[in-house]
Amino acid sequence: MNWGPFLGASPLLVVSISGLLLMVAEAFSHRREEAEDRSQGPSADLALPTALTMGAGAVLSAAVWMVGPENLDGVGVLAPYLIIDRFTLFFCFVLCLGGALAALLAGGYLPEHKLDRGEFYPLLTFSTVGCMILAASGDLLSLFLGLETMSLGVYALTGFRRASPRSTEAAVKYFLLGSFAAALLLYGGALLYGATGKTDLAGIRTVLSQHATGTAVDSLREGGSMATVAIGAVLILAGLAFKVSAVPFHMWAPDAYEGAPTPATAFMAVAVKSAAFAVMLRVLVIALGDESWASWAAGWPPVVALLAVLTMTVGNLVAGRQESVKRMLAYSSIAHAGYVLVGVVSAAQTDGDGQASVLFYLLAYTVSTVGAFGTLILCGSRGVEAVSYEDLAGVGKRHPVAAMAFALFLLSLIGVPPTAGFFGKLYVLRASIGAGLYTLSVILVLNSALAAYYYLKVLVYMYMREPAPGAPLARPMKSGYVVGALLISAVLVIGLGLWPQRSLQAATSAKLVAGAR
Amino acid sequence: MSFQPFLYWLLPSLVVGVLAALAPRSGGSRPELRRLGLGVVAGVTVLAVRALWPEAGDTAAAAAAPGTPAASGEWPHLLNVLVGLPALAAVMVLFVPRQMLTLLRGFTLAVLAIGFLASLLLLSVPMTAGWHFQYVKDWMPALGIRWHVAVDGISLWLILLTTFTTPIAVYASFGSVKTRIKELCFSFLLLQSAMLGAFVALDLFQFYVFWELMLVPMYLMIGIWGGAEKIKAAIKFFIYTMSGSVLMLAAMVYLVWSHQKLTGTWSWDYLALSRVVLPTWAQATCFWAFSLAFFIKVPMWPLHTWLPDAHVQAPTGGSVILAAVMLKLGTYAYLRFSMGLFPGPASSRAAQLAGFAILGGIIYGALVAWKQQDVKRLVAYSSVAHLGYVMLGLFGVTPVGMQGAVLQMVNHGISTGALFLLVGVIYDRRHTRMVEEFGGLAKPMPIYAACFLIVTFASIGVPGTNGFIGEFMIIMGTFSSERFGTFAGIHTIGAALGVILAAVYMLSVVQKMFFGPLTHPKNRNLPDLTARETVALAPLVAMIFVIGFFPSIFLDRMRDGVKVAYENFKNVSGQAVSFADDRDAQILPASMFHKGFLDGAPETKAAAAADAAPAGPEARVEADR
Repeated sequence: MNWGPFLGASPLLVVSISGLLLMVAEAFSHRREEAEDRSQGPSADLALPTALTMGAGAVLSAAVWMVGPENLDGVGVLAPYLIIDRFTLFFCFVLCLGGALAALLAGGYLPEHKLDRGEFYPLLTFSTVGCMILAASGDLLSLFLGLETMSLGVYALTGFRRASPRSTEAAVKYFLLGSFAAALLLYGGALLYGATGKTDLAGIRTVLSQHATGTAVDSLREGGSMATVAIGAVLILAGLAFKVSAVPFHMWAPDAYEGAPTPATAFMAVAVKSAAFAVMLRVLVIALGDESWASWAAGWPPVVALLAVLTMTVGNLVAGRQESVKRMLAYSSIAHAGYVLVGVVSAAQTDGDGQASVLFYLLAYTVSTVGAFGTLILCGSRGVEAVSYEDLAGVGKRHPVAAMAFALFLLSLIGVPPTAGFFGKLYVLRASIGAGLYTLSVILVLNSALAAYYYLKVLVYMYMREPAPGAPLARPMKSGYVVGALLISAVLVIGLGLWPQRSLQAATSAKLVAGAR
Repeated sequence: MSFQPFLYWLLPSLVVGVLAALAPRSGGSRPELRRLGLGVVAGVTVLAVRALWPEAGDTAAAAAAPGTPAASGEWPHLLNVLVGLPALAAVMVLFVPRQMLTLLRGFTLAVLAIGFLASLLLLSVPMTAGWHFQYVKDWMPALGIRWHVAVDGISLWLILLTTFTTPIAVYASFGSVKTRIKELCFSFLLLQSAMLGAFVALDLFQFYVFWELMLVPMYLMIGIWGGAEKIKAAIKFFIYTMSGSVLMLAAMVYLVWSHQKLTGTWSWDYLALSRVVLPTWAQATCFWAFSLAFFIKVPMWPLHTWLPDAHVQAPTGGSVILAAVMLKLGTYAYLRFSMGLFPGPASSRAAQLAGFAILGGIIYGALVAWKQQDVKRLVAYSSVAHLGYVMLGLFGVTPVGMQGAVLQMVNHGISTGALFLLVGVIYDRRHTRMVEEFGGLAKPMPIYAACFLIVTFASIGVPGTNGFIGEFMIIMGTFSSERFGTFAGIHTIGAALGVILAAVYMLSVVQKMFFGPLTHPKNRNLPDLTARETVALAPLVAMIFVIGFFPSIFLDRMRDGVKVAYENFKNVSGQAVSFADDRDAQILPASMFHKGFLDGAPETKAAAAADAAPAGPEARVEADR
């Protein structure tokens, strides 16, 4: 029997089978929502196994990377539904890392805030599986399947705080808008299929380029026209822009991010966004990567560039006006999506580093953002969750280690060297200048200076303000899980900042090549 | 011959002796401490001045072998130690319990003192043209980023200025700052490392890293230990500087990318990139992107508005560092990077920029300073005026003007650093800095008044003090500059007017504060300088006279460094403009640069090919035929 496909898909298989097992385990775990003793709740049973599962997924992706997917026999049998290439593996690694860190954060957060119900972990796991399918899909069908698997889990996680009207509202909002976006995407896919007769991305490209060059006289199906393709492409782009929370499709994001329990917010900010960017790259570079569609004159680059400019600028401007740190981080993650979109625009030039810069940026962004949300979790405890800037006043004096960790992650998000975030920005900048997008580059760097303002505000409150007399003090919680997650993120933030060499090379070799299977 | 050693032992002893003789008169609780401190200062000063003094053999060796690369006897890791030691110490400070104040303070001062003594080793070799103490190592080869540090006659003095003033600022801060000592020590050490790193970096990436790293500790310093409006000032400082530097980063990436297109090699190396000539529009854009970052830091009018706020709100130690060293990074970086990488626009825009420096910096800065009620704000605006001179010297691009500018950077560091220390002294006693609160201070505080007067003279540029030499050379350079063309005369008049204005605003504040009747009852019994304050001020006052009387020991060592920068600029600026008429970027042949300048640049095939090809556009046209 040929084990190649199994080996190639092992990261996916391990995480999905473990998800099933976790569901069973959850049924037998302690059901004590109100347990005072932390060692008794479902989190104590499930958090570490979940994190280990996803850790195993990450390790397996790395292992398959080392072996090289091209050396595995018959791995192409899964294509185009699941394409196991270096691109997929890189994303699997990033997604599993994000999922594992979110699980660790949940292990500390849920018991602390009396939300300790076991279904969080299987939901998280299945959502991660959805993300991975999305990143691997080379066909509109599996793309939609992955998208829905991912989204359903995240909708449920958003509404996880059943008692809180805010959480419920966030979930409903997210669900309604999310379903609408999924419908748009599906409709766009249907139009593309209608015009080209193909559902796989590579096939769509073949038809489109044949049509453009006129090699096959009637490559488009009967009744299909370029207008149909264009409308389909725009609808798909809109659906994906919704998932990456690009302006003007971002309205759901701040509410959903604020209402969701913080570990779920972190997961949404990193994994969901990364997976959506993965599929966006695949659709734009593979299906619409033909010169007639990827050209600056008549194609998607100006549209995406406009999205990028809007997303960066609006995200940063609105983030500066927020009172709540969690909401500020939500808007800042919108702004970061804008930076990544600049990388996506540069990816229109196939010989440049656009794709690699997106990949590396997402890795750097994942560790910094999980770290930032994690320290926000760490700074609060039951009843006194750290939410607003005032809650963080004086933390630098009372809890120097937590404050210093927060400062590190924020500096990485600002892009101060030598942190991971700096290299992410630098790489995107290099790609965009290399692609000749000078105006976009200048807007990017000015935006990152603008962003410094609101990130620094956190530092101001932590180090330079004293809490108002009588105001409730944020007491940091004690949790080995959260500290562990933060340690991993901090090591990666500094490590990627000082020695980015290896991961940059990895990102470069993970580039999608059109026509290669 | 026999006279010389006598002189350099005598002078520091004289200065310190004079101060020490004044010391006991004002009383104070522990006179023996002050004497002990002054004794230590005298010892260190003598050591420093001895190290400064050119050996007889130095000049001979320099004359014998101009342009030879690094002589033996240069320890290649010296710069790494200078940069790395404070950074390492900053990390170590984090693990010291915050209650152990003595250990924290002692450790920080010890590290900075070791840094100063180690930096004196830089003086042990003759500063011939080319790079010294060079150390190159691959950092991120895939991106072409290297760890490349070296020192020449220009950065030498700025490094020494940094290692010299930081311990003084730290020592003075420990007297006035009583809260959160651990964070203070951490910030100072990290700042020291970042500033030195920026001065020695010859890799643009490395330079950017240190340039940005500098912001964080300074931001913390203003924001934590600052005055009433500290948070606004800190954020303003950060955002201003950051907006400039991100644009610089974009220009750097463009330059690196152009170099990669030309040669096929990624490199961020300053030496390699200075051979790239961009097309005209790109040259201008990149020049402005770089210079904007530096002009904000200097600060040049109209980008100066962050400076008064930052200075007024910062604690004394922070102000000293900010004025003495961080502003110099702007001027130094303009000389090194803007003029080195984009000589074409720097040359063609020189006259206009000099107009800005004179009208906006020297004259406007002086007039605004005149009207200030707050002494610290006054000193801050006087910095704007003084740095206007430095920039004027650089814009003029004459050897004498550039030497004067580099010397004036050091002078400004010393005299303005001392002024901020002195303002801090009075603020610690009265908690106000308003001029009208004072009057007749010379009576209760004679030593303080004397020091203030000496430093004021240095700041005005009275002959015999350091300020005179620098400003005089800059004005000479302005008059003889070819870049200013017909404006040279007008610029000279403007600059000379600034000297008069400086006398007006500085002397009027001295008059109001120290002389006249002692009206305010609170001022009657102010104690004179304490031991700590005297010890902190003594070396600065000593250096004012050392530079004032013996400028040649400084000018000799920077001459070759400035000559290299000047000749490169002269050769390349004309060529760059004519080359840039072509649409594409090009690589200049190595023969256009001063010998020894390009040592240590990464090897590339394309660059070698450019060397082999005949130089100049005319020659290339012939080759095409």
